[in-house]
Amino acid sequence: MKILVPVKRVVDPYAKVKPLPDGSGLDVAGVKFDVNPFDEIAVEEAVRMKERDPSVSVTVVSIGSGDCEEQLRKALAIGADEALLVETTDEMDSTVVAAELEAVVRQVGPDLVLMGKQATDDDCNQAGQMLAARLGWPQATFACKIETAQGSVRVTRETDNGEETLDVPLPAVVTTDLRLNEPRYIALPGIIKARSKPLSRQPRATTAAPKTRTIRLEPPPSRPPGRRVGSVDELVAALRERGAL
Amino acid sequence: MSIQTQETGCSFLSKTPDRVFSPEEFAKDEQLMIDQALQFSRKEVVPLAERIDAQEDGLMPGLIRKAGEIGFCGIDSPADHGGLGLGKNLAARILEFLSLNASFSVTYGVTSGIAQLGLSLFGTEAQRAEYLPRLASGEWIGAYALSEPNSGSDALSMSARAERQGDKWVLNGTKMWISNAKWAEFFLVMAKIDGQDVSAFLVERSFPGVSVSREEHKLGLKGSSTARLVLENAEVPLENLLYEPGKGHHVAFNALNIGRFKLAAMSLGPAREAIWEATQYAMDRKQFGRSISDFGLIRQKLADMVAHYFAVEAALYRTGANIDAAFAAHGGTVDGNRAAAEEFAVECSAVKILATEAEARIVDEALQLYGGYGFTEEFPLARIYRDCRVSRIYEGTNEINRVFLADRLKRRADAGRASLVASGDSFASELAGKAMAKFGSDQVTVGALSDLLLLTYAEQSARLRAQQVGGVAQLAYERFTNWANIQAAMAYQTVTGEPVALPSSRPGHVDELADAILATRSPI
Ligand SMILES: Cc1cc2nc3c(=O)[nH]c(=O)nc-3n(C[C@H](O)[C@H](O)[C@H](O)COP(=O)(O)OP(=O)(O)OC[C@H]3O[C@@H](n4cnc5c(N)ncnc54)[C@H](O)[C@@H]3O)c2cc1C
Repeated sequence: MKILVPVKRVVDPYAKVKPLPDGSGLDVAGVKFDVNPFDEIAVEEAVRMKERDPSVSVTVVSIGSGDCEEQLRKALAIGADEALLVETTDEMDSTVVAAELEAVVRQVGPDLVLMGKQATDDDCNQAGQMLAARLGWPQATFACKIETAQGSVRVTRETDNGEETLDVPLPAVVTTDLRLNEPRYIALPGIIKARSKPLSRQPRATTAAPKTRTIRLEPPPSRPPGRRVGSVDELVAALRERGAL
Repeated sequence: MSIQTQETGCSFLSKTPDRVFSPEEFAKDEQLMIDQALQFSRKEVVPLAERIDAQEDGLMPGLIRKAGEIGFCGIDSPADHGGLGLGKNLAARILEFLSLNASFSVTYGVTSGIAQLGLSLFGTEAQRAEYLPRLASGEWIGAYALSEPNSGSDALSMSARAERQGDKWVLNGTKMWISNAKWAEFFLVMAKIDGQDVSAFLVERSFPGVSVSREEHKLGLKGSSTARLVLENAEVPLENLLYEPGKGHHVAFNALNIGRFKLAAMSLGPAREAIWEATQYAMDRKQFGRSISDFGLIRQKLADMVAHYFAVEAALYRTGANIDAAFAAHGGTVDGNRAAAEEFAVECSAVKILATEAEARIVDEALQLYGGYGFTEEFPLARIYRDCRVSRIYEGTNEINRVFLADRLKRRADAGRASLVASGDSFASELAGKAMAKFGSDQVTVGALSDLLLLTYAEQSARLRAQQVGGVAQLAYERFTNWANIQAAMAYQTVTGEPVALPSSRPGHVDELADAILATRSPI
């Protein structure tokens, strides 16, 4: 089985970032970047499948600037076999990403696309669904458990009403939730090995244009300080006073 | 990391390099390794601090094995014997991040460092093949046994003896303060053949006549094992003599040169952790209706802590890059390894003193910033405070390192391998140059001269790093220089008795640095 895992380069989710003074973007000078944590979970899952079944191969792909090599190498260090970098500095939204991924899928020919349900930078939660629609493939989103069978995967997904289990025929798109697994520490020999694993670069394959445009970025308004109350009664009274109850 | 350096041992004094390696320059995949170390510390080690201090059965050996599985236990050991064959500078950076908990750090630092180093530098193929793979994988814990009850600083006065009896060595003596003794399967032991010639032996715990006794009750580092290694007619195979008979001091002291450099990294880890914790606390703690981070004296502490950390970090990784370059140029043979490990001995002592004393200042101020909570076990500073005290005592006390530093420089100069003419590229360097003329033999002036030398080294390292990095680094450098100048003036007075006027300092730089620290909560 061939698995394709898209990985996105995002600002380290634990870094403090500020918008640029003109609101046109984020001030990322000196800020660390990392693999989108949901995508790292997808890589981890794919590598575990490969460890259970040596016939599985894992390709990772990133769409973005040349700097994405850092994140692809990390995925290779975790255990992916090869990497593809679609190099572009164009502005992208989920529409563009889905269009480009569709082209990559047609090129690589995976049985399964395993990807994060969302990215921690824009939290869109769309690319996986859009990709499945473009390909006309079945999809299972928010996976918290994945079991492979002959020609299908059984995916347990978390919903507001509890867990739902789906049998999804391959090829399919599956998006990962946080509880799917806990990524391993990357062994140092793996990091050394990743230096010489294949990574190829190619330009964009489509001319898809973004459907959304960033107008302005501004920090959320700072919250006014809270007030301490002495008892539940006082709390209820205070909430009433503000019309919250 | 690419190694480009024209520096030789002590050249910092007479020549300012164009640039120095700074920790920002570790390659991306090296950063990824360093990241793994930080996450391992935060998730696997720091949360277990209390259980580690209680020396819970099996806990520490389990952590070392886990670290070994990731590849941490043989980073700079030879790749053909289970190590990764990476550089000492990277190994030190990883060590720094694995040192947020000091008990784990010393256990890990010894087994991955001085326990293996003698073998890596001086071992035969057979000796390396026998022991390195088990140590580098974390399967075995190793120890380094030099000190004795009556021979600490004066290590060569040891009384442990080795006698050749037929096809084996028979060792007798007691080694004291041996880190890791409780868990170690392997000991690098220094003893005198026939009571005369200091020699190094590879000793397994399972050899007849080897035992471990008396775990020490310590002020801190309670989770690390410190005990005696007792040798009673211990039987050691002939082939377990390391290097040559009578040359054990080369093994012991070269392991210590690199060991001192590594200890500096081990001391910066807790300092970094203290800054990290204290900065957050300063923002959270409210008194008089404001965060205490609004108060000038607290802001000054934050600025000072970061400034010291920044400067020592600069000196440390500059030294490490130079050591790596020396190994790249000379290493490979036993003689070459020896030359490489000796080349930057002065700088190794300098960073040992700088880092352990910066650690002490930083941790002390961080605890102060916590007020009464700092003195309680509910908050992390009390443990860090106790644990860091030993840094100034082992791997050569700071007094011994001060004496060694000036002495080594003089000996290099006598041998035509260093110039005593200071470049005068800083206030400290100018004073060091003038003080050098009064090179005497009494310890107080020797110590003060060493202070001038190590301040010169730290100032220059921080200055070059700040030039290369810019931004907040400039402010940290400015703050550090301010302190270093005052220290240099005092040391100069001690040597010469002459008055000396201090350079001026820019008002407002403390506040600017404090603002920058609070904006990112980062020790840069
Ligand atoms: C927790 C811990 C772990 C240790 N781990 C190890 C280990 O794994 N392996 C090992 O071999 N050793 C280990 N040691 C021993 C350590 O290296 C020694 O304690 C250290 O070298 C100092 O020796 P000492 O204790 O005998 O002090 P002493 O040598 O008696 O020194 C006492 C004081 O006198 C000063 N002094 C001594 N000589 C001079 C001089 N010539 N000039 C000026 N001042 C001087 C010292 O600086 C010190 O302040 C450990 C010690 C501790 C506390």
